Amino acid sequence: MSGANAGAIVTVPETAVIDEIRDEIEDVRTFYFSFENPEAARAFRARSGQFVMCTVYGAGEFAVSLPFSPEDDRPHLSVRQVGKVTRALHELRPGDKIGLRGPFGNGFPFESIKGKNVIYVAGGIGLIPLRSSIVHVLQHRQDFGRIILIYGSKSSQELMYRDMIEKWKATEGFETYFTIDRPEPGWTGPVGFVHTLVAPAKVPVENTVAFVCGPPLMFNSVIKELLAAGIKDEAIMSTLERHMKCGIGKCQHCAIGRTLVCTDGPVYTYKQIKTLGEQI
Amino acid sequence: MYIMPKSQARALAAALAEDYDLHGPVLREESGEPMFDRVEDPAAIRLEAAIPYNPPKSVVFPQAERIMSYRYDREAKTVSLERDDLVRPKALVGLRACDLNGLLCLDRFYLGQEYVDEFYRDHRKKMFIVVNNCVRPFPQCFCVCTDSGPAAREGYDVALTGDGDDYLFEAGSEKGQALARRLGLKEAGPGAAGRKAKIIDASIARFDAEATENKAWISRVMNRITTGFISNDIWEFIGDQCFECGACSFVCPTCSCFNIEDINSREGRTDRMRSWDSCSYEGYTRMAGEHNPRRPVEDRRNKRFFCKLSYSQSRKYLRPGCVGCGRCNRVCPGDIGIANVVTYIRREITKAGAK
Ligand SMILES: Cc1cc2nc3c(=O)[nH]c(=O)nc-3n(C[C@H](O)[C@H](O)[C@H](O)COP(=O)(O)OP(=O)(O)OC[C@H]3O[C@@H](n4cnc5c(N)ncnc54)[C@H](O)[C@@H]3O)c2cc1C
Ligand code: SF4
Ligand code: SF4
Ligand code: SF4
Ligand code: FES
Repeated sequence: MSGANAGAIVTVPETAVIDEIRDEIEDVRTFYFSFENPEAARAFRARSGQFVMCTVYGAGEFAVSLPFSPEDDRPHLSVRQVGKVTRALHELRPGDKIGLRGPFGNGFPFESIKGKNVIYVAGGIGLIPLRSSIVHVLQHRQDFGRIILIYGSKSSQELMYRDMIEKWKATEGFETYFTIDRPEPGWTGPVGFVHTLVAPAKVPVENTVAFVCGPPLMFNSVIKELLAAGIKDEAIMSTLERHMKCGIGKCQHCAIGRTLVCTDGPVYTYKQIKTLGEQI
Repeated sequence: MYIMPKSQARALAAALAEDYDLHGPVLREESGEPMFDRVEDPAAIRLEAAIPYNPPKSVVFPQAERIMSYRYDREAKTVSLERDDLVRPKALVGLRACDLNGLLCLDRFYLGQEYVDEFYRDHRKKMFIVVNNCVRPFPQCFCVCTDSGPAAREGYDVALTGDGDDYLFEAGSEKGQALARRLGLKEAGPGAAGRKAKIIDASIARFDAEATENKAWISRVMNRITTGFISNDIWEFIGDQCFECGACSFVCPTCSCFNIEDINSREGRTDRMRSWDSCSYEGYTRMAGEHNPRRPVEDRRNKRFFCKLSYSQSRKYLRPGCVGCGRCNRVCPGDIGIANVVTYIRREITKAGAK
């Protein structure tokens, strides 16, 4: 095999050990892992924005983002329990094993965004797939202009990676805006859906890229705000999600229009999304 | 080219049966229906049978197939994985040109693109193909509209063309040549190629009078679908007729969608199974939180027609993903087999042109 994903674990999963489990927010846990086979660990080279297919032995397989930066983070996955396989994953304890195939997908384009302002807009666990990109950009702070994170969730209890974000804030010029859907005692920040923060953040327009990730409803209203602010179609990027089975462009479950999210995506520009001809 | 008396067809099948599992058209004992199936007895193959109800797809892409199995011992924390390698050499004897082209469509899809489908490749690897060119079409056929019949052009080891009491025998590969030698066949002489061309021309000439169930003027429609000419009302009209039964996908020689599930056995082993799926089912794209990006039935129907007539095959390979076998028209309770859909759309194009 050639191309961007040379070296991927394609057919039979590699086994990894769960070293540590952390509770993030309700129903979401982070699983730190390491590959059993040192060869696999060395060969596994993921780019930010890619994903893996995770086997929970005895339960099945599901698609999951790689939120860590390959350069300077411990490998981990952050997973919300929603159904059969993710529930089985949440039942595992440190020392248990999982299987991983991948990395798959196109990943974020970093070369072409060098020197630009970067805006992240995330809703709920939409922060998971953006995390590796944020780590990367902060790591190379000098290569970028303004770096802005706009993040919203249902309640303050459901903001992901809070400790992490507190640490990131120490990086010079990292601007953050948080919001929650409904007022709550002790919360002094803004209240309302995440797209309402785009205007107050006075996002820069020239030389700017925006990464958007969250539930479909949030996605649409955020895009509207970003476009209203003057950001161009091709400068807005998002990772799309589909129910996936094979991860390698064969089962067709993830097809949108003529593209396949698992191999053509999951990262698309809004300019591309507009031409897909199907709902997001 | 060689000459093979029709009476020698059984010897051909028997020779292949020595090295391969044999598959071909058979007649069901009770009903006489033509089916494409695995045969133990070479004499069971019926080269003269009508186009089988099912395509040969399941030979390379079984309806349900174990692709891997594993055991996870949670106490001992050990995993043992096993990749299945149960694939035996297979001979397909008596394939029609449309179905051979169906296989070639699957080849391009499963073996091309960024990743190779290793399970499909294993089935496809050791295979001997004897195609049986159609000297006359069946009522449901429209391979002349999809450029996939009635005679095969590539991808076979042997091609047979009926010529009175004989078959014209063409070897398409080294393996095919070897079989001709093994059967002791006579050279056909210099006039044979011209004779074959006449036979096939005569077959094509019969489509108008004999292949009357379906007509599909596909190329024009493909162009219009691809350029977004078809209005939503038409897709809605077509979609409204779909029962979501999945039958069209299952009888189609080129439909390739599948599902994957891990199934636990009583012995503590888990089998990873893949099985046929259909993009016409509502659950096909369902996601968390009741979100289904492809909810309306016409969206799902579209997907299949776009796949056959625009996206997957034509954009990349400049040919339709339909090979004109007419099976979907036969099984569809909603009367929206591909030929009918093409007809609906064509009518619309004509109407728009008249305005
Ligand atoms: C590229 C990609 C990256 C992802 N990254 C993450 C991540 O980092 N963290 C995380 O928690 N989840 C992520 N997901 C979603 C995750 O794949 C699904 O939540 C998971 O497949 C559910 O599996 P299950 O067996 O537990 O649920 P099931 O029992 O299969 O289904 C339960 C419910 O979830 C729905 N569902 C199944 N698969 C998906 C899916 N892919 N997307 C949305 N809904 C689905 C079902 O339709 C059903 O409503 C990602 C998905 C994709 C495609
Ligand atoms: S569609 Fe063409 S190749 Fe297929 S059986 Fe009919 S005539 Fe033969
Ligand atoms: S779409 Fe219908 S006619 Fe075309 S190849 Fe498939 S089953 Fe045959
Ligand atoms: S056979 Fe007809 S009714 Fe059934 S899924 Fe296909 S198009 Fe719909
Ligand atoms: S997940 Fe199978 S094609 Fe994308």
